[in-house]
Amino acid sequence: MNRRFRALLRLFAVQGTWNYERMLGVGMGYAAEPLLEDLKAIDPVRHGEAVVRSAEFFNCNPNLAGLALGATARAEYEAVPGAQIVRLRTALCSPLGSMGDQLFWAGLVPALLGAALVAVVLGAGLWAILGFLLIYNAIRIWTAYWSLQLGITSGMRVGSAISSSWLPRAIEWAGPAAALALGAAVPVVADWYLLSFGWPAVIGTAGVAVAGFALTRWFGPGLTSVRFALIAMVALLLFRRIGL
Amino acid sequence: MIEFTPGVVIPLLLWGTLVGLDLVSVPQAMISRPLVAGTVAGALAGNVEMGLRIGVLFELFALDVLPVGAVRYPDYGPATVGAVALGVGTPWELGLGISAALGLVFALLGGWSLQVVRRWNARSIQRRTAALAAGESSAIRWLQYGALLRDAARGFILTLAGLVVASTIADSVRLDRPTAVALTLVAIGSALAAGVNGAVRSAGRGARLRWLLAGLGAGILIAAVA
Repeated sequence: MNRRFRALLRLFAVQGTWNYERMLGVGMGYAAEPLLEDLKAIDPVRHGEAVVRSAEFFNCNPNLAGLALGATARAEYEAVPGAQIVRLRTALCSPLGSMGDQLFWAGLVPALLGAALVAVVLGAGLWAILGFLLIYNAIRIWTAYWSLQLGITSGMRVGSAISSSWLPRAIEWAGPAAALALGAAVPVVADWYLLSFGWPAVIGTAGVAVAGFALTRWFGPGLTSVRFALIAMVALLLFRRIGL
Repeated sequence: MIEFTPGVVIPLLLWGTLVGLDLVSVPQAMISRPLVAGTVAGALAGNVEMGLRIGVLFELFALDVLPVGAVRYPDYGPATVGAVALGVGTPWELGLGISAALGLVFALLGGWSLQVVRRWNARSIQRRTAALAAGESSAIRWLQYGALLRDAARGFILTLAGLVVASTIADSVRLDRPTAVALTLVAIGSALAAGVNGAVRSAGRGARLRWLLAGLGAGILIAAVA
């Protein structure tokens, strides 16, 4: 199997050994192994050092990890000094994390899920879910492939290659798309659930929703939406038990 | 509640393990999203409608989470499978609330179990520090395989525990109709609050907020017409 393809496949498990010390580090080392294989024959000492560097601390969005992986692997073959490769790796953490998170977690995923929720309510059912999975995975697999290729071809110049790519423009579009889709999904889903109940139930549910929204924002991380829901459910059961 | 036959339980256990793995470790194909996990669990348990209702509900909760950096968040995947197992066989208006309560508790447990696995991964790396410093590729490989196995075990145990607790609740808890409906409405209200929270947070201020309001208008229109 092609070494780049093996590295690409391993990138899908880049978070496999996620931990609070090296974060994605070991996963990156695992994905780097096929790319660094040829270095063993060229310079075994350099290969050993490259393997050590590949598994050190690293963190970024997993979908863009290929950029750092490809760039550092190329730099190892170009015999760039080790300290410089470590600096490149460290420098890439924040931008790749920020861009990937904005594009995927705050953009593409909520946008597609919002659309899927609307489609489910409109009767698309399983097709909506299949469509969500196909579109999301087509985009992320292509992005992973593109990231690895761009990283390998640009090496130490990966920063300028990223800034002149489609990535910054896509991020500009992803956020508004997510806001639009989520905005549309909430009333559609609310209607889907509450259509079977009468107006008193709708008003009561709206009251819970408003209280939940206000309280979770007021208390911040101390009162997450899940905790609010569980507290509200326990309170309801207690009230029913004492006959309120 | 599902029937506890191997034909139903084994596929659900397998599915719960897969969605547990998908959340962080591999392949992050989004099968762990509650909408997907719930619908497939519903199909496996013979009630797609209940799977969809629970999946959509938990998806609203999940949209309130932005999984960036080292943030801690609930794991809705295996939790959704357990919730669907409890809800199947009951009209959704009566079963959604109690299923949601079970699922949310297990989502929190799932989030906690992720921290346990991550700490375990760190200890495993510390034990192999010398091999990593010597540049042994095999050490990296075994660390990776071990971590994947731990996460798979986490998903399996969570799903199994969810199914067992679901069975216990189905056997022992009897809610009258008004209480069951009220619990469902509280679950829906809380989920809507979470969904709005997620939407507002992701929109922030400025141009995105305008897009959110445009979406809200479109959604109200769709709801009125549909």
